[in-house]
Amino acid sequence: MSIMEYNGGSVIAMVGKDCVAIASDLRLGNQALGISSNFQKIFPVTDRIYLGLPGLATDVTTLREVFRFRVNMYTIKEEREIEPETFAHLVSSTLYERRFGPYFIEPVMAGLSKVATGGFKPFIAATDLIGCLNFAKDFVVAGTASSKLYGAAEGLWEPDLEPEQLFETISQTMLNAVDRDAYSGWGVVVHVIEKDKITTRTLKGRMD
Amino acid sequence: MATAAVYSSPGFDFSNEIRNNFLASKGIPLPKATSTGTTIVGCIFEDGIILGADTRATEGPIVADKNCEKIHYITESIRCCGAGTAADTEFVTNLISSNMEMHALTHNRKPRVVTAMTMLKQYLFRYQGHVGAALVLGGVDATGPNLFTIAPHGSTDKLPYVTMGSGSLAAMAVFESGWRKGMSREEALTLVKSAISAGIFNDLGSGSNVDACIITANNTEMLRNVEMPNERVQKERTYVFPKGTTAWKKEEVRKLVVQEEVRLVGEAMDTD
Amino acid sequence: MNSLANRFSTTGPINELRRAKSVLEDDEFTDSAWGSEAGFGSLAKGVPNFTVPSVPDPSAFLRLHTDDYADPSCRIKIQHGTTTLAFRFQGGVIVAVDSRATAGSYVASGTVKKVIEINPYLLGTMAGGAADCQYWETYLGIHCRLHELRNHERISVSAASKYLSNLVYSYKGMGLSMGTMICGWDKTGPAVFYVDSDGTRLKGDIFSVGSGSTFAYGVLDQGYRWDLTDEEAQELGRRSIYAAGHRDAFSGNTCNLYHVKEDGWKFIGNYDISKLHYDGPGETPGAGYGYDVRVERSAAIAVQA
Repeated sequence: MSIMEYNGGSVIAMVGKDCVAIASDLRLGNQALGISSNFQKIFPVTDRIYLGLPGLATDVTTLREVFRFRVNMYTIKEEREIEPETFAHLVSSTLYERRFGPYFIEPVMAGLSKVATGGFKPFIAATDLIGCLNFAKDFVVAGTASSKLYGAAEGLWEPDLEPEQLFETISQTMLNAVDRDAYSGWGVVVHVIEKDKITTRTLKGRMD
Repeated sequence: MATAAVYSSPGFDFSNEIRNNFLASKGIPLPKATSTGTTIVGCIFEDGIILGADTRATEGPIVADKNCEKIHYITESIRCCGAGTAADTEFVTNLISSNMEMHALTHNRKPRVVTAMTMLKQYLFRYQGHVGAALVLGGVDATGPNLFTIAPHGSTDKLPYVTMGSGSLAAMAVFESGWRKGMSREEALTLVKSAISAGIFNDLGSGSNVDACIITANNTEMLRNVEMPNERVQKERTYVFPKGTTAWKKEEVRKLVVQEEVRLVGEAMDTD
Repeated sequence: MNSLANRFSTTGPINELRRAKSVLEDDEFTDSAWGSEAGFGSLAKGVPNFTVPSVPDPSAFLRLHTDDYADPSCRIKIQHGTTTLAFRFQGGVIVAVDSRATAGSYVASGTVKKVIEINPYLLGTMAGGAADCQYWETYLGIHCRLHELRNHERISVSAASKYLSNLVYSYKGMGLSMGTMICGWDKTGPAVFYVDSDGTRLKGDIFSVGSGSTFAYGVLDQGYRWDLTDEEAQELGRRSIYAAGHRDAFSGNTCNLYHVKEDGWKFIGNYDISKLHYDGPGETPGAGYGYDVRVERSAAIAVQA
């Protein structure tokens, strides 16, 4: 057994046209036994950055507090909100600090970054458990269903999806992938981030 | 402790060691970190150095990143290709890049390639191979073109043409048959491209595109994706789902402020 | 270098395999090896002969290659993780199973038939090695038919289950893996026997087998009475499999329900466990078994009142 399978759970993020989406399952398990169908794995960092933390549940809770603390310290010192690119590096170095005793988490980030001309640019990134950054232009996945998510997303994703289309694509990718994974599922939550609003939807997923 | 984090000393934090060693003793192995199976190469030509790399990053049998960057910046005229544990190559080159900049500022001159090589090998030796970075370091300095390989345990080689990573055998086969002393820029670039291609096509750990970097005495040219032999063909049809395909139970919409306008109200304060 | 060292070493899986192969190659082929007896070996001899790997401990050898818990990269992944149940009541026997097959964390199939229809009066359930259950329970079917032909009467559930348990006992320690319930109706009325590959054979009223059995037992024990009506009993079987499919990661997808009566077994239906969660067995949306669904429903009723 891998330690990532102890509690189970998966996260995916996708880029669309002037928007991004991030989705996770809602299961918290103790190996084969399902414990909760309402376990939050995606957390808001700023108005326009969301962070997904799939992996060992104890580390989900710890890291969420570590990042809340570090982002608050950044905001106070810099007197401005952190940008997604900067936040990705903060995540990366926080994890690499524990290179030889890592947290069992593979973070996934999604957000909109400010551009000099005044608009917003979609941003997604993921790291492995020791903080190796992966800036993708299409989608990033992590968690126990990652291999299934790769397959589904590789087939369904396409460039320049409008927010409503992106919602359907990420939802179908997630729902179908977690149905093939014993350790993920028990409901799905999706966040679609646009420049003027964030839509959060709880999906009707399989409950077995 | 979260509060201690601001004041923590630099270097690695081992506070999860006890827990993780306990888990390991229970027979639960560490999850796999991203590694770069990788083909990386470097060779000397008449005016300088050419470095080359593929762009595949793997997590066990899965391709984690199809187009990652493996040629890392050290200084303006020194670059470093990395293979092995991806996080280690990223952070070790970043660290040495910072130290090289500090070195340049304290001594007020451009640091040499051997300096970077020594910093890297001393760092890697200190960690006895646990920092899993296999590097190809190249650049041009006051002494001319320099090319090195640095193994994860800290041993180094100085050669006119070098390869590293899982595709090193395929790439070295190309170099051994094609490299000559005093090649022109075009000849050397073609050779590097075919060496990386040999890795991409013959080694399963390497793949996707070719990156190259040409360093001469007064210019560094980064050729990102100089060759893309594995581009995905356009999908024959689209798979966009009609709106309403996915059933959902609950929706929440949070409106965000896009623009703020500050308007002055009342009389301006008398500041005379 | 590795292969050279391997050739001269006396242990290691590769070496074991090579030794086993060399022994096999020396053996003469019998007709049964070519499948001329439908793969069931020589029926004349009574019990088929299986070639066992010629290693000192065949079951340790098998475990070495099939234990995906200790070694996720093992060569052979045997299907496991299941919920099956059967219980006896006034109106016969209810047999209910899930339909999920997993290989490690991968859900390999969601449409597995875990009830084996041995003959019109006998059902067997499948937990453990899918192939072992399928093969030996089909084989049991052959012998039940032979019994009928010889004795001009149907075999009793007790005799059939004993035949199976004696058979698997003769292979004890060789790595067979099955936990099954032989259910049927004979002269004595409804009967359920639990048989597993250790050789255990138990007569009883209620059994549940598999990784989700604890969840099924919870519902089953709470709702069970001997004088259940047919509808109540079927609902209890369905509800128990739903509970296991919901909580256990290795059970789920659909529920197959059978009812055995005096005139033989009848397939009642196939129910999607997710649909049972939200809507229940009928066609009423919102009438599901799910905890949150029930809470919502009673809240809605409270608002109405």
